[in-house]
Amino acid sequence: MRNTLRQASHSANFMIGFVLIIAILIMVGVYPLFNPGSPLDMIGLGTFFKPGMYISMYDAAETAPSYTLRIDGAAAKRIDAKLPQSDRESMKRWLTAYGVPEDAIDVDDLNDLLNLWHNTYDEDARPAGLTSAFRRSVARIDAALDGLLEPLDVRVYTRDPQSGEMNETARIRDDQFINVSEVVTTRRLWLGTDNFGRDAFKELLAATGVSLKIGLIAGLIATALGLMLGLLSGFVGGLVDDIIMFFANLFTVIPGFVLLILISYSIGQEQRGATVVAAVIGCTSWVWTTRSVRAQTISLRNRDHVNLSRLSGHTLPRILATDILPYIASYVVMALILQICSGILAEAQLSMLGLGPKTTETPTLGLMMFWGMTYAAHQNGAWWAYFPVILMIALVSFSMNLMNTGLDQVFNPQLRS
Amino acid sequence: MTRKLCALALSLAMLLSLAGVAGADIPSELPRNETLYFAGQQWGAVLSWNIFGANQNNSLVIGGGAASRVIYFETLYMWNDLDGQLYPLLAQGEPVWNDEGTEITVKINPAAHFNNGEPVTANDVVAVWDAHVKYQTGTGVNGSTYISAVEAIDDGTVVFKAVLNDEGKPINPLELPNQICQLRITSAAWIAALDEKAGGDQDAFKNDPAYDIVASGPYAGSYYTDETKIVLERDDNYWGVALWGKLPAPKYLAHIFYADNAAGRAALEAGEVDVSQQFNSDVEKMWLEKGLPISTYIDEPPYQLGLVQPSAIYNLNIPVLNELAVRKAIAIAVDYDQINANAMTHQSATFEQVPRSLFNTTEGQQAAYDHDAVKDLQWAGKDIEGAKALLDEAGIVDSDGDGWREYNGEKITLNAVCPNGWSDWQASMEVVAATGKEIGVEITTFYPEAAEFYAVFQNPDQTQYAIYMQSIGGSGPTYPWNSIRQAMSGEFVGQQNNGSGNWGQYVNPHVDEIIAAIPQTSDEAELKALYTEAVQIYLTDIPSFQLMYRPSLFHTVNESVWTNYPEQGDEYGYPPNDLTDGYGVGALYELELVNP
Repeated sequence: MRNTLRQASHSANFMIGFVLIIAILIMVGVYPLFNPGSPLDMIGLGTFFKPGMYISMYDAAETAPSYTLRIDGAAAKRIDAKLPQSDRESMKRWLTAYGVPEDAIDVDDLNDLLNLWHNTYDEDARPAGLTSAFRRSVARIDAALDGLLEPLDVRVYTRDPQSGEMNETARIRDDQFINVSEVVTTRRLWLGTDNFGRDAFKELLAATGVSLKIGLIAGLIATALGLMLGLLSGFVGGLVDDIIMFFANLFTVIPGFVLLILISYSIGQEQRGATVVAAVIGCTSWVWTTRSVRAQTISLRNRDHVNLSRLSGHTLPRILATDILPYIASYVVMALILQICSGILAEAQLSMLGLGPKTTETPTLGLMMFWGMTYAAHQNGAWWAYFPVILMIALVSFSMNLMNTGLDQVFNPQLRS
Repeated sequence: MTRKLCALALSLAMLLSLAGVAGADIPSELPRNETLYFAGQQWGAVLSWNIFGANQNNSLVIGGGAASRVIYFETLYMWNDLDGQLYPLLAQGEPVWNDEGTEITVKINPAAHFNNGEPVTANDVVAVWDAHVKYQTGTGVNGSTYISAVEAIDDGTVVFKAVLNDEGKPINPLELPNQICQLRITSAAWIAALDEKAGGDQDAFKNDPAYDIVASGPYAGSYYTDETKIVLERDDNYWGVALWGKLPAPKYLAHIFYADNAAGRAALEAGEVDVSQQFNSDVEKMWLEKGLPISTYIDEPPYQLGLVQPSAIYNLNIPVLNELAVRKAIAIAVDYDQINANAMTHQSATFEQVPRSLFNTTEGQQAAYDHDAVKDLQWAGKDIEGAKALLDEAGIVDSDGDGWREYNGEKITLNAVCPNGWSDWQASMEVVAATGKEIGVEITTFYPEAAEFYAVFQNPDQTQYAIYMQSIGGSGPTYPWNSIRQAMSGEFVGQQNNGSGNWGQYVNPHVDEIIAAIPQTSDEAELKALYTEAVQIYLTDIPSFQLMYRPSLFHTVNESVWTNYPEQGDEYGYPPNDLTDGYGVGALYELELVNP
């Protein structure tokens, strides 16, 4: 065993895959310690908040000390952000449609443009040739123009609970800054939020943990079934072999995923917890392991040491456990790794179709994709709601396949260098 | 030779199966500047054009409620969701009640004619009604409970007579105006021909695909449909020029059958669709972030006109839900702001803006009850501590320390159910389920396919679904009375295949008295008192609770090709009905090309 591990550790592929999967497991295990609470907590009122640091406006305005920083260009930056060139062109288009001569409009002279605008713009006017969507966009630009050139102080008022009077409690100038580290309440949303307003990074790590668990259970079931049936079929032969191979062939002909869909649908959503889904995946993916183990067992069953064991009167389980299994153990481990990987992928596919585990209990990678797609994350540019999920699935699959390739190089005599 | 003939026959058969059903030559490439494209009205191939059929799957042509779809078939009157008034379409002038309030007389517009040139007469209206009654269609079965007969006085006058109670008053006078804006009119001659063809067989009559049906609408000129789309061509001989002063602007109305919401949304954003009836989540991002020429009826949240109230129905067959404390605890604990922000993406009015009652967001329905009288009964939601206290007081506590409360010694486990694929409803159920966790009541979501969902909850004895979603309320002459009926009427208790209301089997004889009294009451103060009392009972007994307000039709338009769509506060006052339903059809006549 130690020798096997030493051999495996010499494979670069295996080690890269192993380190990757361990890194993922550490993140899954450690992150909740720093960010406790349920990953399914809906903290955001609204869909797909962008990734970034969120600072409590209330605390920033009320409690944090402020600092005066005179930064050159801050005003110009603010003006550019509030009134970019495209908006100035929109203003020009509206003014032209309203009847202002085109050569009287200079979008580069902000003072002139704003003067002209304030003297001309009428929100209720419907100049010919302008769509409703355009008129509404111009109305939004108009609303953002107040105090653009000469910024007014922002005043904060609070209501006196006794008298009901409004008292000014803060006045914020445009050169006042706060130090983020001094704000009492902040929240770093590394991957923003999903459609339910959940912390997407926290959910991603929790979902990865659940998906790995599903993959592991599915892989163990599929490998155990495949191993048991393959050993029996290959070693006993005859009628037992015929029966097992009949079912194996049957399952080979019916596409596994179709079978998976049918079973998942028929057991009903109420019964579909993460473990049940894992068991269903495991029970539908034993075929190839069975066939491979059978083939290897057939090649081993007439070896001298097996015949000797048989002549010694050893029982069937003992022969299989001590004389056959050790010779195919490396293959079985490799098959297990691939089964775990395909279990994770199968769960993701099932959940994408709405046939995965119950949604309220556990986050899974497939469910994150399902809700991301349902709420059009891909069409809204909310990449954080689906791309990291794809990346995580790819990373897990990649690392497991790397481990498998590494082991293959170590144990396959044809590939061994 | 035989082989060649077989090949030819096979090719012909294949061609025929691929070909659509068409009434006339419609170009395969529709001119973009003459075509208005829709999305979200029609899913999958059209099955039938028969207005008497049960499952036509022809939503672009046959659809709508009181605001009936009137682009192909027309009704006598058009309902306006905005002002709650009837406007004449095939009729002329206002409907006239007799002095006893038992009959309503409608004059037919003498200019009205069908697409075959035959005039629309009172006999056609009578024939349509009689066929509905004779062949026991949904309209016939429901309508004949309240309408005893439809009779022609002369070619241009038709009378709708109410079924009377023992006192000689109509059982429900609201149903008369309701029918005159919903009854789609086809010709008596066509009905007679189908009648003869069916030979009195009810199924043969209803299942006839009616490819040759006669209609009077502006787009009854011609049609084409296959597995991928439906196209309606304008009837340039449309009689309604006399009514509207002109023809509607687009020559063709077309609807591609998109595979799903995502495909329809992509087409809308690409400018391939002009009018979208889909729920497009985060719709404002289309114009705020992507700068697309897309808009909704209202520029600010809730963007749409909230006409119906998707609600969570409690199944009272389940013992624990007979406990008022449990019903109220769940209802007051749900985070409605979360549902509005995350499930509806702000396309619903909040309960702060329009406090919960039983009625939709329109001024007319909101004025129906006394707001101050029910103020103390309305809840804002997310009252977790209040909900826990209610359950504790009722003795429904967690006695075994597993975090979940028990009822009669057993852990409370409920499901929250809605059809699979209805994204905003599913997300709402997720929020309801999350609420359960916070108050110690296990609620898990369950999304069966729509057919299974309806089959189960329409069974009055079912115990499979505990909390499930269904829409209450709407717009039309029978509302807001019908909202009370849908939510609490005893007439539906124990009724098999109940698609109409009170699915949770709530029983309250006093409410039934109120439901019976409202249609008979004309005194406004008395009416308001009755409506107020009904709302008070609803908010006290909580047989169901509203989750959000939702439009009956989502109305999102792309102005890449066409402009001058209805918008709130415009000079036309057409409701946002996708330019197809009720009085909203008038907007078709005001459309203009962006680049003429």
